[in-house]
Formats: sequence, C-alpha cells, structure tokens
Amino acid sequence: MSISLTARHIVKRFSGVVALAEGDLTVDGGEVVALLGANGSGKSTLAKIITGVLAPDEGRLEVDGQAVTFSSPQGAIRRGITAVYQELSLIPDMTVTENIWLNHEPMRWSVRVDRTQARRRTEELLALFQGAVSPALMPETPVAALPPDEKQIVEILKALSREPLLMILDEATASLDARQVSRLFKLMDAWKADGMALVFVSHRMEEIFRVADRAVVLRNGRTVGERAMSDVTERDLVTLMVGDEPSAAAVAQPDAAQPVDPSARPRLQIDRLRSGRVHDVSLAVHDGELVGLGGLRGQGQDDLLLAVFGALPFTGKMALAGEEVKFNHPRQAVKRDVAYVPGERGSQGLLLIRSILENFQLPSWVRYGTPLKMGQARQDAAQMGASLRLVMASLDAPVSSLSGGNAQKVVLGKWLLREPRLLLLNDPTKGVDVGAKAEIYQLLEDLRRAGTAILFYSSEDEELLNLCDRVLVMQDGRITAELSGVSLQKENLVAASMGAVEQAGDQGGSSS
Amino acid sequence: MSRFDFRRLNARHPYLLALLLLALALAVNYLLQPNLFQSRVLNSNMRTFLPLMILAAGQTIVIITGGIDLSVGAIVSLAAAVLVTNLSPDAAAGQIALIVLAAAGVGMAAGALNGFCVAFLRLQPIVTTYATSFIFSGLALWILPRPGGSMPQQLARTYRSAAPLGLPLGIYIAILLIIGWTFLRSTRFGTYLVAVGGRPDAAYASGVPVTWVRFASYVLAGLLAAFSALALTLLTSSGDPRMGDAMTLDSIVAVVLGGTRLSGGQGGVAGSIIGVAILGLIRNIISFANVPTWWQTLVDALIIITALAAPGLVRLLRSRRQA
Repeated sequence: MSISLTARHIVKRFSGVVALAEGDLTVDGGEVVALLGANGSGKSTLAKIITGVLAPDEGRLEVDGQAVTFSSPQGAIRRGITAVYQELSLIPDMTVTENIWLNHEPMRWSVRVDRTQARRRTEELLALFQGAVSPALMPETPVAALPPDEKQIVEILKALSREPLLMILDEATASLDARQVSRLFKLMDAWKADGMALVFVSHRMEEIFRVADRAVVLRNGRTVGERAMSDVTERDLVTLMVGDEPSAAAVAQPDAAQPVDPSARPRLQIDRLRSGRVHDVSLAVHDGELVGLGGLRGQGQDDLLLAVFGALPFTGKMALAGEEVKFNHPRQAVKRDVAYVPGERGSQGLLLIRSILENFQLPSWVRYGTPLKMGQARQDAAQMGASLRLVMASLDAPVSSLSGGNAQKVVLGKWLLREPRLLLLNDPTKGVDVGAKAEIYQLLEDLRRAGTAILFYSSEDEELLNLCDRVLVMQDGRITAELSGVSLQKENLVAASMGAVEQAGDQGGSSS
Repeated sequence: MSRFDFRRLNARHPYLLALLLLALALAVNYLLQPNLFQSRVLNSNMRTFLPLMILAAGQTIVIITGGIDLSVGAIVSLAAAVLVTNLSPDAAAGQIALIVLAAAGVGMAAGALNGFCVAFLRLQPIVTTYATSFIFSGLALWILPRPGGSMPQQLARTYRSAAPLGLPLGIYIAILLIIGWTFLRSTRFGTYLVAVGGRPDAAYASGVPVTWVRFASYVLAGLLAAFSALALTLLTSSGDPRMGDAMTLDSIVAVVLGGTRLSGGQGGVAGSIIGVAILGLIRNIISFANVPTWWQTLVDALIIITALAAPGLVRLLRSRRQA
C-alpha cells in the first residue's frame, strides 16, 4: 500500500500574522522529500497542518487524490500520516514502551493493554538502533531518564510503531550523533524501499543530499521551488532558501589564528575538573581565542560548560584570569563576566511569554537603578536588537512570537548587553536557519576579534572547523584529542569523535 | 548501594514510604491503644476511614491528570443531603436503590460541571472547583437546611456490623477500590490519565483526547464523592449540610501522603488509601495521647508542606553529596 499526498495553496495565520502564505507540497510513497527553508519560513507550520495538529485557514489537502480535512492528529494518523516532532511528544514519567504505544496499545480482550506484547514489540523496535544507543535504553526505562538523543530515537520509533504510510521527520536529526544519524538514514532507505513516503526537515545540507530525492523550498511562507537532488547544488538550494540574504555557505572564515600571547594569563583555566559526566578535564582559553568542543553528543560537553558557569557542582581547580574561583551559583559567574548561551533556548534561555525587552534585560536590570530607568533600558535593548538584525514586531512582543533564529539572537543579545569576557556556548545554532546562523557566526568572529574568550560546543562539525582556532574533542567525559592548525580537518575531527584514532596532543591536552 | 536500591524501589512503588509511615503509625497507635487489632476496634476504625478512602480515590484520579478538586467535600455534603432527605428509616430496597442512583447522578453531575469548566472552558482547576464548591454547599443547605434526615436502619445496621470472614467490610471495599484502580490503569483510559497529567501537549500530539480525559476525571471524582457520602451517612444515620466540607483538605493530604505527585502524571489509588489510614491513625494517636485536637490541623499542614518540599530536598541533598 502506498500513499500520495498533495498540499495546495495552504494558508495559515496566527492572530493576523501570516505563517504560511502559499504552502505547496507533493509527496508519494517510495520517495524522500526534503522540506527546506529558513526558520520562520513556514516548514513546521506546513508539517503540522499535514499531520492535523493545526487546521489550515485556506487551501486544500489531498490524500490519494481525495480532499481531506483533519480536525486532530488522530484524523491524520487514521490516514497513515505520522510525524516525528521536534518538540518531543513524549511523556517523561511514562516508560519507553508506554510512550511508544500510547493510544495504539496492543490490547487483550479489547479492554486491557497487553503489556507482554507491547514490551516484545518495543524490543523489536529498539533493535533497529542497536549499537547506536546505550544498553540502558530498555522498554521499561522511564523516558525522563534518557539523554536527548535517545529521547529523539524513542520519538522516531513511536512514529514508526504506527506503521505509517507517510512519516514527517521534523528536525529529527538535530539531537542525534553521527552514528545515530547514519543508522537512521539506513532505516529511511529501507522504509523508502518498502513504499513509505518520507518528508525530511533538516538544516544540515549534507544530510539532505545524503537522504533526499527531491527538495521543496519554502521562503517567507511560500513554496518557492522544487528540485530533484540529482541536478541541484548546495549553493542553488541556499540561494532559493535565503533569496538575497547573506548566504550561509559563506561562513565567516576567521583570519589566520591570532597569535595568543603565551605569557598572558588565560581567561579561563581549568585543571582536572570533574563534574557530572566530566572526568579530569584540563584546558585553557585565552582572550581573543575561540575554542571549540567537539565529539559526539552527550560526551560531557554540556556538563563541562555548566560546571564552568557555576550551574553544576565540580571538583578540581578553575581560574579566571589567573584568579582561582569556585562558583556555587551562576550568579557568581555572571558577576565575573561569564555568560552561557544554551541551545535549549525554550527551557534554558528565554522567558517565552515575556517581552523581548524583558528577556534582553533580564541579567542587566541591576544597572538601571531604582526605580528602573526604562527609557535607557529600552534604548539599549533596541540598539542590541538592531545590531543583531533582529526581526521583531516591537520590543514589547513576547519572545514566543519570534522564529527560532531570532529567538536565539535574543539569548545571545541578553548576554552581550553585559559585555562578557568569557562566553560559553552550548550548541547555539540548534534549529536555527541558515541566514541567522551566518549572522551568529559573524557575531562570534567579531567578539573574538574584540578580545572575548569563547568556549563553543557545537554538534555541527562544519561550525567547529570553520570558526574555531582549536577544537578539543571529548569522549566519555574526557578530552581525547586537540586539533588545531593543519590537523583541524574534518576527517580528523570525525575520526577523533568516533574514538577511531588517538590524535595528536596528549591525554587531556591543555594548551598552556 | 542500599540507598540506591531504596530509590529504585520507591520509583516503582511510589507508596513505599507511605507503607513505612503506616507501620510506624500502627505501632505507635498500638502502644497507646493495645486493643487496636481486636475485630471490633478494627471494624470501627475502618468504618470511620472508609468515606475518606473513597473520596481520596476520586481525588487521586483528578490529581494524576494534573488537576485538583477542591469541591469534593461539598459534593459529599450535597449527595448526603439528597440521601438523608429522601430515605426513611424503613425504606424498601427498590426505593433505596433508586435514591442511591439519584445521589450518584447528582455527584456525577457536580463532577461534570467541574469538568466542563476545567476541561472545556480551560479555567484554573483550583479557582474553579473552589468556586463550584460554594454552589454545591449552597444546594446542600437548600435541600437540608439543618442537620437531620434519616437512613434505612436495616441497611445501616448491616453496614456497621458486617464482617465477612472476620474482617471489617471496609477492608473489602478498600481492596475493591484498589482492584478497580489497577484495572483502570491497565486499560487505555488509564494510560490516558497518566499521559494527560504528565505532559498534556505531548499527549495531545499523540492523539489522546485530552479534554475528554480531564472531563472524565472530574466526573469520576464526583461519582466517588457520592459513594463517599453513602458510606458516611450509613455511619451517622443522619445528615448535616456541612458534613463533607472538612474532608476536602484531608483527601488532598491523603493523596500526597500516598506518593501521588501533586503536579500530576504519577501515583495511584493504593497509596492514597494507605494515606487515609495513616491520617486516621494519627488522629487516633492524637486523641489517645490527650493532645489538643487543633494539633491535627498543624499535622495536616506539615504533611502537605513536607510532601511539596520533598522532591526539592532530595535534589538538594543529592547535589550536596555530589559536590
């Protein structure tokens, strides 16, 4: 059995704002269509309309040539359409099995859930990712106990358990590591061969070229083009996506690494730090240096950054500009001009329902006296917004009204207003569109040139390669390789991430 | 290691702590009242605890879906008023069945009003059910302006003395409640309850009818409140338009004691029933130890505050140990 889905001239407005002006998409069984577009271009909206989460204001949705309207996700599921959501649809307190089979549990005597069968079928599904996930991922594991990548995999398996005819993967690879992504792509190839239709939403070009047959490009809520992957280049797609805006392919190349004065005290020096998943990490970051943290996801990069920011307790020594510090609370780190920009902006970076102004000024209100000098605060925030080229209705609009890329700019801006000396970045371009990415890269380059010390974790190898002076590769909570200069090559980075080669630089390589 | 094991056990059986507390309360109570385990005393205790057990079962369901019902006590008063004003001491079996059904209907209707406001109109459960509790209390006062009324004597006598196999009737009903919950939890609807309480948006995206599940949880709580009123009036053989009011807070305390999380998504009826037993025993202890009864209110308050603070305290201790 195979499906053919067509969306024609779909329009969706959110309280007057047009999210989707003319969304068109056709996908048939046995093909992978990549849905491309900058954040805010309407990809997610279109995906949600197809899966019945949102109802379109205008336009026509056809399944197998027959017009349909879905009043709820349930309606789409009945037609064989499921989605792997970017914001996970998992329930933390429930087990992997309960989550996967939620609402289509195998039943016994048509009243009771058949737990034995559910468990067995969950094991079969988990076997698809065997070797790419930790052995702790069991049918009875509560989802709350899983790291983000395994949550995402459970989400994928949950969609798969419906035996769909059409599956939409919305940024499903964003939190997966390289091994998991390649496993997913092998599975997608198999599903495609079985006649499943797949819609793949991703910001990573190489993935799109690896897996898609066709690309549909959205810009500002309109479908602006459709290309077969076989006769299109990365540049063509980027041009379609961004129009005249700065191209992401032109990642700001850093100047030849500025010579760091070795006699100067490093801005950040840590010695044998242990915390959470981090074991014995030593490193130094100098002013004006952009140091990358690489490696597979979840190798301790998060905990390292959080420990430096005072959000996780640690043992070991840490010094800022030669002065030993021991932070118990992020507040102390902030006072010492340290800033932390999370990739999980929704939960860690922003007060979503509050205004852009409040979010910008949240760490800085103390500078505006009592009572607050609101005029000055507004002016500073507006200036920051302009320098970040923030696209917003007004400073008083809630942050939730911004697209992913613009929201991330607010997270960056709120710390830049404090002029940090040490900037910690935790995958800051996660789910950010290419245009905004390029702007963020430029911003980091400018900050580095102005003398800010930057420690930067990214799940995208290209970012590390293009932006950083040095990259420290982490595996199992340790720094296993240090790449710089000529050794800073993609092959080396990938090899080091996978633990394939012992790289140059001693164990726990420190540069000082 | 042993600590770790305890944590895991506790995660699998959230009412483990409640069982320990129950054993402690039983021991203290036994010291003060050596005849505690005599059939007569046990029976009288169970009969006193039972109305709250039934009520707490309903409260548990609402709390698991992420809501709270501050009107259950008022629904008890209302259903009790319906029962005692319509049943004469010598009512026939058919009439009794009819009136009990009517009271159950009143309870469900009251729950449906709560459910409609919370699930369909999306009003805040705390404020909504606090407000509706005044409607139900008012209706109870209108039906039964002053304490009085009556219950069928034969039925009440049987209810009070029945002890099949030497165990109080109350124990059987409590076990029935637990079996009922276990069954409910093993159905698809049971999964829905937990899913809606855990993360409503995720449940919605998975195709769970979130609104209806919330609505149903309040209707169930209303129905169980009506049964609670039946158990209560059989005990007292008369009604008071305010007889259920004080039970609302107790029902919440019992749910919390039983290990059900106040923010929803986790817990069960068995824990709440143990919670009620603990509360009842503490009450016994206080009266036998000749402590002024206002201590009871303080104890209730301390239990709620401790339960609310517990997850935070555990996290704090854990991070201290790590550092």
